[in-house]
Amino acid sequence: MFRTARSKVQTWITAGAGTIAALFVASLMGAFGALPAHAPPQLPLDTAIDAGRWRVQPVRAYISHARTYGVLMKPGQKALVLEADLTNRTAQSDKAYFNVFKPDGLALPDPMPMIALTRDATLTPELHPGMTERMAYVWPLAGDAIVPASLSFGVTAEIFKSRDNLYGMPGWFNPYRLGTITLPVADVPGTGS
Amino acid sequence: MRIRILGNLVILGATVVLSYGMQVSKPHYADLTAPIPADGAMHDTIRARSFDVRLDKVVFARALKTNQFGRQKLLTTSGLWAVVTTSLTATAASTTVADGTWQGPTGLRYHQTERLGYRQDMPPHGVDPGLEKRGLFVFEIPPDQIRGASLLIAARQFGPLDAQARISLDGVPTSADGQPADVLPEYDLDAPPPQGKS
Repeated sequence: MFRTARSKVQTWITAGAGTIAALFVASLMGAFGALPAHAPPQLPLDTAIDAGRWRVQPVRAYISHARTYGVLMKPGQKALVLEADLTNRTAQSDKAYFNVFKPDGLALPDPMPMIALTRDATLTPELHPGMTERMAYVWPLAGDAIVPASLSFGVTAEIFKSRDNLYGMPGWFNPYRLGTITLPVADVPGTGS
Repeated sequence: MRIRILGNLVILGATVVLSYGMQVSKPHYADLTAPIPADGAMHDTIRARSFDVRLDKVVFARALKTNQFGRQKLLTTSGLWAVVTTSLTATAASTTVADGTWQGPTGLRYHQTERLGYRQDMPPHGVDPGLEKRGLFVFEIPPDQIRGASLLIAARQFGPLDAQARISLDGVPTSADGQPADVLPEYDLDAPPPQGKS
């Protein structure tokens, strides 16, 4: 009886090893790349979204043709403006909010937006822990760029590591697309503010 | 023979336990290279490595009045403005003191504001030995971060193994609910400072 159990175990191990080796080689050769990727979800607009080190609540999006929160346009340019309430969820003052929002499907002359505090048009101030501020993301666009009436923005978050792999320092790493928000885009012909 | 195997196993186990213990108790790199604190209280002169600092006064305000490029500007905040007046002196050679942080009671760090732009009395403060200089540090803080807070002042923002003055703010008068006892509706940064010690 002992002997049959032993041979059974041997059979299982041999067969299992073969299967694992087959799966391993297949994954090395990229056989699982064809699996459908998990699409980032559509995020709600009425509640605040926890996106890594920021809690964000989009407010409105519009096209501006004039100086918006102190951001000057070049002649013949217009600007896509997204206003959002940002709260720093970390324990220290931070200004790493440049990549949180990104408009989908638009040709941007400069992918890096200008970001202003709506309170007094300070450009890219540090935001302090737990203090919610309304920020305006301003992307300059070519004057003839066509912007759909309803535009989706990708929301990027990062993960916290208490020790990174190089120095063992705490930090935020590995940006990933948390989801998508879709906002109506109004066209504001006059001046911003 | 059997005792020898057992002995080897015991040694192996002990090594594993010891190595694991050393791994989990290893100090954090951020702690090993952290600034070296020099503690003190309000109105004391605290000797950091390259400068001496004395905290003279903390004023809370709901808005700041300032002159920017010749224009009056009223800066508001979602919390409170804390204007900290310090006296700074260099110890051995002329240097700069550039970094101020308001550390709340739970360890949240509020870095000095960048919304004021360049001003003569804002960091970085150029300091010289033997010449006492008035230096301001301005913070935006929520009102619940005042009781039990401390002020961290260092020569540079990222100064590993350099001195950092850590001034306890227990002398700031607060009411029973932790709110500051006196909040000005508006603080004019360009008004001349009161003469004499305050």
